Formats: sequence, structure tokens, C-alpha cells
Amino acid sequence: MKKYEAVVDRFLRYSGLVAFFVLWEAAPRLGWADPQFLPPLSAVLQSIYWLAVDGELYSHLIVSLWRALVGLMLAALVALPLGFILGARCPETARHLDPLFRLLSQVNPFSLAPVFMLCFGIGEISKLMTIALVALWPILFHTITGVRMVDPLLVKTARSLTVTRGVMVSEVLLPGAFPTIISGFRVATQMTVFMLIAAEMLGAAAGLGWLVHNSAMLSQIPRMYAGGAFIILLGIIINQILLKVERESMFWRECPGPVTDEVVRSLSGKTRSLYVAAFACAFAFVLICGSQEVRRVNIQGLHSDKTASHQHNHGGLVGPLRSD
Amino acid sequence: MTVQQTETARTIGKEDAKIFAQNIRRVYQIKSKDGGGITEFEAIRKLDLEVRAGEFFTIVGPSGCGKSTFLDMVAGLAKPSSGEVFIDGKLITGPALDRGIVLQGYALFPWRTVRKNVEFGLEVKKIPQKDRNEISQRFIELVGLKNFEDRYPHELSGGMKQRVAIARALAYDPEVLLMDEPFAAVDAQTRETLQEELLRIWEETKKTIIFITHGIDEAVFLSDRVAVMTANPGTIKEVVTINLPRPRHGIRSSAEFGWVRHKIWELLQNEQDGGGRPALPDQDVAAAISTTAAL
Repeated sequence: MKKYEAVVDRFLRYSGLVAFFVLWEAAPRLGWADPQFLPPLSAVLQSIYWLAVDGELYSHLIVSLWRALVGLMLAALVALPLGFILGARCPETARHLDPLFRLLSQVNPFSLAPVFMLCFGIGEISKLMTIALVALWPILFHTITGVRMVDPLLVKTARSLTVTRGVMVSEVLLPGAFPTIISGFRVATQMTVFMLIAAEMLGAAAGLGWLVHNSAMLSQIPRMYAGGAFIILLGIIINQILLKVERESMFWRECPGPVTDEVVRSLSGKTRSLYVAAFACAFAFVLICGSQEVRRVNIQGLHSDKTASHQHNHGGLVGPLRSD
Repeated sequence: MTVQQTETARTIGKEDAKIFAQNIRRVYQIKSKDGGGITEFEAIRKLDLEVRAGEFFTIVGPSGCGKSTFLDMVAGLAKPSSGEVFIDGKLITGPALDRGIVLQGYALFPWRTVRKNVEFGLEVKKIPQKDRNEISQRFIELVGLKNFEDRYPHELSGGMKQRVAIARALAYDPEVLLMDEPFAAVDAQTRETLQEELLRIWEETKKTIIFITHGIDEAVFLSDRVAVMTANPGTIKEVVTINLPRPRHGIRSSAEFGWVRHKIWELLQNEQDGGGRPALPDQDVAAAISTTAAL
């Protein structure tokens, strides 16, 4: 009986999604929508298939992931040490700087696009800086809050044990602030993905944002939807992973965090180190392969005008072409 | 027969005492609310104290009398505005591993298991992993937490957490154990169990213990000597020697216990009435006991 209920529950939960997909497929076919602007789902899926098969998708995906990751790392490189120093060593300074930080955090890189172009050009650096600047603030704010929220009794205990500053950071402040810092990373990542897509649309030679923009310019509408679908998927996957990390990281909290009302199950130490290893491998893969792909794409980008016109002449729904 | 004795003439010097505090004063600068100048608040004034090696010494006093502040000074975590605290005749200038602290809030590292918590001080002392294991196991067993080594603090009860905190403080082998209202947050029954176990551990390890509480019962049951502190400003009013025989299991119901407890209660009571008033004569104490025995 319970099982039956669970099935019904699951069905109801996904029924909206299923209805949406059915409607998507049906609307253009039944003439409710112009297939030119809303191609049926099957055409989009076919386009995804083609993108995947000829390797173009890999190229765009890895380039976007690389940009997001490097941008985040740049932000973390500045925000984490700064957050620790401000949070632990000089909370007074942090308080005085807060209004300035709040103001700066509202600066949208696109609203100051000319300044950005002036400082960083329009190449890869400019995109990375855009992402880094956006991701910096949530990480910084969360780090300061996290460090300041570490139980003062723990700090007192550690102090009574005459720990060095390094041990204080690595054994007390970092573990204590870690769940909050991860929340900051989750917010930063979300904003990063949004900003990255926009930046790629404005000027890039590859990436998911470019894929969407380029398809739209070339009237390859199913391809455009395919790109859009991947951006959504990417967002969901990254968010889920970080939610999982966030939940895991606060297994020791007495009550489950604000993120979930589920029972927090802690992974065993072995599983956890397995996860960490998998993450590290994925990171390394994106970093190494991404940097190669970005270099390849940027060299190719010199001929991008030619490619674009070529593709435009070709037109068609199955448009994706590789120029190598 | 006198079971209590007021400490007056027999004070020992700074060289002989384990902990020796001299003329401690602690002043806080408080900004007045109406934007005016800064007023001074004297939290501790002219506090003198000596604790002997191996002694179980308790400080009892009303909240806000500065007893925790004083303990922080002994721990080296706070500095007196003037005056000095010595350990073995050496001036205390900062925290060191010769003093271990146990706080009311347990202060266990929630992301570490029981074993890793107990080993924290050993890691700081850079003791190799093999010896760490051995030492932590010994102290985990001493506080009666065998088979709980791999649990996390959130999986333990309040009493068990406090045992872990005690094991952690003992593990790196300090000479003096500083305990700041360690049993205040646990229920009455657990508290009594923990008190008896603390005495057992104290007798086994021969540590000097400075224990802070506002529970008179607890102070009398545990201590060799009890210092009664008064507030505003905080200073030691009297040091009462507890000559009750050890072991003290079941001593709570004895007449002597009640007598000493009442003596301390009265010292604190005078304080709350406004201080300064001399203690009641002995015969009145005897009469008062019958009416306040339930307290």
C-alpha cells in the first residue's frame, strides 16, 4: 500500500513536467504555435543528439565549465583569505568596510561593460574577470559570517591549548565556517552561470552562451533550444552537487540546516573520501581539458567571421558544423 | 566540634602555592548610554588567593561576581588590570598546556569524533599518532566512555559530552584543571554521578583542580576548600576549609555536610542582603538550619 502511494506521489510530482513536455511536442505540430519559433521537442532532442555526436557539445560544455571554474577559483583565491582575515582578525575593520562592500557587490559587470573592456579587453580575461567579480562577494560575505559564527567557546578552548594561528584556522575556523562558506559558493556558482552565459553571448568564440546566441543569429532554432536546455541542465546539476556537499558538510550540526528538512544522513568516512576524490578528478579534468579547448577555440576564433558566414549560407536545422 | 575553619593566619607564600593570585583588579571601561564620558566598572577588586598542589579548590559566588573572569586569568586567556597570578611561582602571561580548561558549554569540536576530540591537545603537543591512540583510549576509559570513541558529539547526551571535555582536558596531562561551572547544564542526577566520578578521577590523577560553581552543595561535596566570592566588586569574602572525611559517597545527608553548607549559604546570603553585615552567631546558625534544611 505504501509503495502504491509512493508511486502516485512520484507521478503527481512529475506530472507537471510531463504535461509541459507533451504540450511542447504537440503545440507546434497542431499549429498552436509557429514551429519556426517553437520547434517540437523531438526536433530539439534530435538537435541535441547531433550536437553530442559531432563533439560540438563537448567543446562548448567544457569551455563554459572551465570559465566558470577558473572564475570561481580566482574569486575564492581573493575572497577566502580576505574573509578569514576580516572575520577572525579584524572584525572592526570588517564592520567599517561593510557599506563599501555592499555597494561594490551591487556592481553588475555589464553595467560597467566599457570600463571592463578598457581594463581587461574583450578576450578570455575579460570573461573570467566578470565571473570572478560577481562570485567574489557571496563567497566573501559568507566567509566573514561563517568565521564570526564559529562558537567562541571552541576558539577559547583552542586558545587555551596554545594552538598556532595555522592550526586555529585549519582545525577550528575552517571546519566551523565550512557549511556557511559552501552556501556562499552555491550562491556564487548560481550567479556565475547566469553571468557566464550573458558574457558568452556578448562576445566569445565558444561556450553554451555563444551556442545559443550563434544559433539564434543563424536561425537554427532547434539548436538554440538545445543550447538553452543544456544551460538549464548544467545549472540544475551544479546546484544539486553543491546542495549535497552543503548538506554533508554540516552533518555535525545538531539540527538540519535551513537548506533541507530531510533527515541528515552522514556518509561514512570511506564514501566521503571517495566523493572527494571524484570531485578532485572532475575538477582536474575540467581544468586541463578546458584550458586546451579554450586555447584551441580562441585560436580558431580569429577565423570565426568566416565560419559564421559559412554556417549562415549552409543554414538548415542540422546546422552544427565543425570547421576543423 | 568545628568542621569548618576560617582561613586567616595560615596563608602560604607564593613559592609554595600551586596557584597564587595577588591583588587582582579588573576594570572595564563602559560607555555611558547618554553619550557622556566613559565610566569605570570594577569587576574584581583586591583579590588574593592561593591554591595548594593537589588541592580541590572551589570558588562559589553569585553570578556576575567575576569568578569566571578570574578563572580566565588563571588560564591565561584574560589579563588582570593590575595584580599577578603565579603558577609554581612563575608569572602567568598566557595560556599553556600546564593548565587545562573545562567549560560549561562542553566546547567539543562537533566535526571531530570523541577520540579525535580527546586527541586534540595531544596533536597540539605533537605527540605521535601511535601514542595518541593509547593515551586517548586510556582517558576515554577513565571517564567511562568506552565504545563511544567513534561517535560524534551530536550523538551524545549532555553528561557524556562533559565527560569527553574532561577527558580532553586531562589527556594532555596538565598540572592544574580549571573547571568553569562544568556541570551546570546537565540534569541533577547526572550531575551527582559526574561529581562522584570527578572525585574518583581527581584521586586517580592527583591533579590540582580549581572548580567554579554557584551550587553550594556541589562546592561542599567536592572541595578541600571553598572560596566564597562577593559581587560588586568581586572579591573573596572568605575561604572555608571543608574537613569532611573522604571518600564522600553518601555524605550529603550527614549533619556536618548540612552544617558546612549552611555556613557557606549564609556567607552568600549576607552578600545578597547588601554585604558588610557580620555573620550570625553560631547558635543562631544552629537554629536556622532546621528551617532551611530543605534548601
